[in-house]
Amino acid sequence: MSTREISYGQAIREALAQEMRRDPRVILFGEDVALYGGIFGQLAGLRDEFGDERVFDTPISENLIVGAAVGAASRGLRPVAELQFADFVFCAADEVFFKAGMWRYVHDGAFELPLVIRAPSGGYGFGPEHSQCPEAFLMHQPGIRIALPSTPADAKGLLAAAIRSNDPVVVLEHKLLYARKGPVPEGEHVEPLGRAVVRRQGDALTIVAWQDMLWRTLEAAARLAGEGIEVEVVDPRCLNPFDAETLLASVRKTGACLVVEEAYRTLGVGAEIGALLMERAFGDLDRPLRRLAIPDVPVPTAPHLVDALVPNVDAIVRAARELAG
Amino acid sequence: MHAEEGPLDDATRVEIFRRCLLARRLEERIIQLAMAGELAATLHPGQGQEIAQVAALAALRPDDPMLYGHRGLAYWIARGLPPERILCELAFKEGSTNRGKGGVMHVVDPALGILGESGTLGGNFVIGAGVALAEKLQRTGRVAVIFFGDGTSNRGQFHEAANFCAVRKLPALFFCENNGWAVSVSARVSTAVADIADRAAAYAMPGVVVDGNDPEAVFEATAAAARRARAGDGPSLVEAKVERLLGHFLGDPQPYRSAAERTALRERDPMGRFERDLRARGLLDDSALAALEGEIAARITAAEAAERRASLVAPATALERVYAS
Repeated sequence: MSTREISYGQAIREALAQEMRRDPRVILFGEDVALYGGIFGQLAGLRDEFGDERVFDTPISENLIVGAAVGAASRGLRPVAELQFADFVFCAADEVFFKAGMWRYVHDGAFELPLVIRAPSGGYGFGPEHSQCPEAFLMHQPGIRIALPSTPADAKGLLAAAIRSNDPVVVLEHKLLYARKGPVPEGEHVEPLGRAVVRRQGDALTIVAWQDMLWRTLEAAARLAGEGIEVEVVDPRCLNPFDAETLLASVRKTGACLVVEEAYRTLGVGAEIGALLMERAFGDLDRPLRRLAIPDVPVPTAPHLVDALVPNVDAIVRAARELAG
Repeated sequence: MHAEEGPLDDATRVEIFRRCLLARRLEERIIQLAMAGELAATLHPGQGQEIAQVAALAALRPDDPMLYGHRGLAYWIARGLPPERILCELAFKEGSTNRGKGGVMHVVDPALGILGESGTLGGNFVIGAGVALAEKLQRTGRVAVIFFGDGTSNRGQFHEAANFCAVRKLPALFFCENNGWAVSVSARVSTAVADIADRAAAYAMPGVVVDGNDPEAVFEATAAAARRARAGDGPSLVEAKVERLLGHFLGDPQPYRSAAERTALRERDPMGRFERDLRARGLLDDSALAALEGEIAARITAAEAAERRASLVAPATALERVYAS
C-alpha cells in the first residue's frame, strides 16, 4: 500500500473519515467537534461530509457525552465520543469507569459496547486540569481497552482498530504529537490492539516509553549510541490489552528495564510494569528497574515548571547511562 | 400489554391490575423468603409504586427500551419477565438474567426492552439519552423511557441528559416516580421544588404531574408523551406522585417515619383504591378476584419450585464476559 507523509492529526481525521464511509453506524460527537472541527483542528471537514446526524457538537456535558456513547453502543451504533481533554475522564468518571468499563459485565454480556472515547492528553501550558496523562487510572479499570498512538501511522491504525472493536476503547491522543508528520498508509490501515513494537534495537537495556516520552527516548537513544550504548526501545502502543511478551523478550535480551512516563510516579504504568517483571522476568533482570516519571505533584501551568517535572532527554540519557554502566 | 392509541380500555385496565397484583404478591413473598434467610435481601421494595410503573409501561410499546428505576420489580413483571427469573436473580442462580454479576440492580433482557439500571443513581439519564439517540438515528420509531425517583432528579446527569435530549429532539420519556423520599431524606429538605415536573421548563419540554395511583391518569400522560416523542417533537417529563409504603431496603427500621405515619400509609395502599375502582366499573368481583389471587399464588409457587431446581451460578462465571473480544 502506498504511503505518504501526513501529520498525526490528519491521520486521526483520515481514520475517522474512512471508518465512517465504511460503516454507517459510526457517529462522532463531543464538544466543538462539528463546526470547529475539534479544538486541535484534527476533525476538519467531517461534519460537512457526514452531516449533522453523524457528526455533532454536544453541550459541555461530559457525563452525557460518555453515557450517551454507552447507551447508543448498546443499541447498535458505533459511537466515537470525544472528551476535549483527557483529564475529563474524571468529570465523566461514572460513565467511563462504571459504565463503559462495567456495563457489559454487570449484564453478563447482554450488550456489546463498540464505543471509542478519544481524548487528548499531556502537553504544555494548559494547566493542571488540562495536561494530565490518565492512562494508569484507566489501566486499573477492567473492561476498558486503551490505545496510545505515538506515530501518525499508529494514530490512524489504532483508531481504526478501536472503532472496529466491540469493546470500549479509550484512545489517548497526545497533544504535542498532533503536528508531527510521518509516513501513513493511504488506504485502510488497521493496527491490531495489544501489540507492542520495538522502535529501536539494542542490547544494553530496554526502555519502555510511549507518545511524547517515546520521541524523547528515541532522541536519547541516538545520543547514547554515540557513546557506544545501544538501548532497545519498546513502544507498548496499548496498555489494555498489554503485550507482555514483546517486553519480556526484550528484557530477556538486555537484562535491564527503564520506564519513562509522562504521569505521576506512584502506581503509574511503570509500577505495573515493574511488578510484571518481578513476577515473570525476575531471573532475566540483572539490574533493578528504573522509573522516570512526574514526581508526585500536579502538572503546573508555566511551561518551564512543567519542564522541571517531566522527564527530558538529558534525564533519560543519564538514567540509561547509569543503568547500562 | 399495550394500548398506546388510548384511551385506556377495560381489558388493559384489568391487565394492569393483574400485573400490579402479581408484582405485589411476588414482592411480599420475596420479603418473606429474605427475612427467613432463604434469599438475598437486596431488593428495594416497590410497594405503593406498582400502579405508576405498570400503567406507564402499558402505554408504551412492548419493545420501547426501558432503563428502570430503583423501586421494586413491577417494571419487569409489566414487561413479561417470568417470576422465576427474578427469583433466580435474587438467588444468584442459572436462569437469572445476569448470573450474579449485577443482581437485581442490573436485570436485563433486551428482547423485552429491559436495558438495566444504573447502580449509581443518575446513570440512567445519560445512558437513556444515548439509547434515544440510537433509536432516532436508526429510525426505529421507539421511545426510550427513563424511570427515576425525585431523589435521583438531583443528580447532575438529569440536567445533562434532559438538556441534550431536548436540544436534539430525541425520543425520550423521563418518567419520575415522586415518593418524597431519598432513602431517609425527605424531599422537603433536599429538593427546592415540590413538583419535579417544574424542572422540565428549564429544558423547554412539557412536564406534567399525575396521580401515580390512578392508572388512567398515568396511562394517558405517558401515551401523550410517547406520541410526542414518536412524532419527532422531543422528550417529555411525566411525574407520578406515589407513596413508598415500605422502607428503602428490606429491614429498614425507618427511624425517619413515625409508626403512626407508617400505619396511615398502609391504610392508603393504592391497590385497595384500584380494586374498588375495578369493582365499581363491573370489571372485578369477589369470585374474579379470588380466581386471580389463586392464579398468582400458583404462578409464584411454580416460580419458587423452578428457582429451587436451578443451580447456583458457578464460581468461574465471575471471570467471564468482561470483554466481547
